[in-house]
Amino acid sequence: MSDMSNLETDGVYIATDGLSYDYNGVTAVSKVGITVAKGQIVALIGANGAGKSTTVKMIAGALKPRTGRVLFGGRDITGMPAHKVVQQGIALVPESRLVFRHLTVLENLQIAGHLPRSRDRMKDSYDHVFQLFPRLYERRAQHAGSLSGGEQQMLAIARGLMTLPDVLILDEPSLGLSPLFVGEIFKMIRKLNQEGMTILLVEQNVHHTLAIADRAYVLEKGRVVRSDTGRAMLADDAVKKAYLGMD
Amino acid sequence: MLFLQTLVNGLALGGLYALAAVGFSLVFGVLGIVNLTHGIFLVAGSYGALLLWEHLGIDPILSIPPVAIVLFGVGYVYQRTIIHWAVSRASLVASLVVTFGVAMIIRNLLQLWFGPDIRTITPSYSFSSVTFFDLRIDLVRLIALGMSLVVLLLLTALLRHTHFGRSIRATAQQPLAASLCGLDVERLYAKTFGLGAALAGASGAIIGIVQPFSPATEAGWTLNAFIVVVLGGIGSPAGALLGGVLLGLINTLTAQYIAPSMTNAAMFLVLVAMLLFRPHGLLGNAMGESR
Ligand SMILES: Nc1ncnc2c1ncn2[C@@H]1O[C@H](COP(=O)(O)OP(=O)(O)O)[C@@H](O)[C@H]1O
Ligand SMILES: [Mg+2]
Repeated sequence: MSDMSNLETDGVYIATDGLSYDYNGVTAVSKVGITVAKGQIVALIGANGAGKSTTVKMIAGALKPRTGRVLFGGRDITGMPAHKVVQQGIALVPESRLVFRHLTVLENLQIAGHLPRSRDRMKDSYDHVFQLFPRLYERRAQHAGSLSGGEQQMLAIARGLMTLPDVLILDEPSLGLSPLFVGEIFKMIRKLNQEGMTILLVEQNVHHTLAIADRAYVLEKGRVVRSDTGRAMLADDAVKKAYLGMD
Repeated sequence: MLFLQTLVNGLALGGLYALAAVGFSLVFGVLGIVNLTHGIFLVAGSYGALLLWEHLGIDPILSIPPVAIVLFGVGYVYQRTIIHWAVSRASLVASLVVTFGVAMIIRNLLQLWFGPDIRTITPSYSFSSVTFFDLRIDLVRLIALGMSLVVLLLLTALLRHTHFGRSIRATAQQPLAASLCGLDVERLYAKTFGLGAALAGASGAIIGIVQPFSPATEAGWTLNAFIVVVLGGIGSPAGALLGGVLLGLINTLTAQYIAPSMTNAAMFLVLVAMLLFRPHGLLGNAMGESR
């Protein structure tokens, strides 16, 4: 509640205030407030089980917050179901990718591109994602289940982009990928951001993440324990100790 | 010749079984619900066709679209209300109890309205048959087989090539991701259930011209659908066709070469063997592995 006054200011895309969530009575997220400004890369970092996925699921409408609000472009979208949130312009690329394995690559993209907000520009969207991920174009007729882990992550991101979002939320896109793919994914995130995409990035790959983040929030046991610019955090000894394994 | 004739009869019966089961299969594959009301939808389709035939003189084949549309609506509302309540408040297993209970209630209501008697629909072509070489097949069976194949093909095209079909398949595999892509998963569940009911109704209208029916036959059709799914696989017209034809052949071959009273025993033997060796059916689960 403290800084709700400046949440409606111009340029702030997503603002959450006092977001909490319980799984069967056990608190997973408690009073989380984060803001994502237009054009930024904002990072949400923290150990396994800190509540990062729960937070972004609440923002995307996949979970209904117990308390708190989610504002998007100044409008209250708290409790709006996921299929409507994506129509508003927030796309969540979920943890562990969740591609439609028995559908072809093209069908995966087609489904997401069919949203009212993106339907009319479907052809441009295809061009865009295939230019970002030429490998997907090569494999467009294959079943998504036959792709490698890295390719499935590309597909999941491409699927999110097909909805023509204003904000792209990526939940641990580098998880389980080979170092080569990790580098590629981060390069792609940066490129998207340079094209103007606002990005909320959930990651455990802290070093890579802080290097490209304008702003970062550290989550611990469901609470925000720190927030600062990416650069400041990268220089911070405590963060280094806790998450980078450096001394 | 007798063997060939038996095969032909089995195939014709199998086409019918396939159509009678495909809606059940779809609902199972997409929603994970074993719908024990399925046979009721089917018998309701038969009675719908009977009413249209007796009161308006509409041919049962032409009554397929109106019967299917009405049952789509019934299935849609049924899922959005009763089924949804049962699944969201309790579990998928609760849907088993609920659909069983509803089936009993509606069976009794049908018995009140229509009486327990066995009925048939007999349009002018009911007693004609077609002969090539020495093989004879009743015209109604030929029509029924043809209509079944047409409906199954249409369904295949719907699932493969339309946004609705893709959405159903995506939702079956990954409901969370489907909703994140903008699909209204709850609505799609209801529509899929409606589609399942519509397909059952369509097959009921067709079955009305081939076989006698009464409110009590519903349970047998639900059981048949279950067996077809176990044989052929879940969630696809191709699986239903394969399972249906196998079941048709098992039935006619057993009746012909062993004893008519042994068909159920043979059916269950194959069923148990399948559950032991290929529990997901010959073609597996077309809708994916989320359940
Ligand atoms: N579906 C669930 N049911 C019960 N508890 C859950 C569920 N999902 C997450 N949790 C719990 O909530 C907490 C936060 O989880 P999550 O948001 O997934 O964390 P993170 O994404 O940061 O790893 C963890 O303690 C986790 O065990
Ligand atoms: Mg997570």
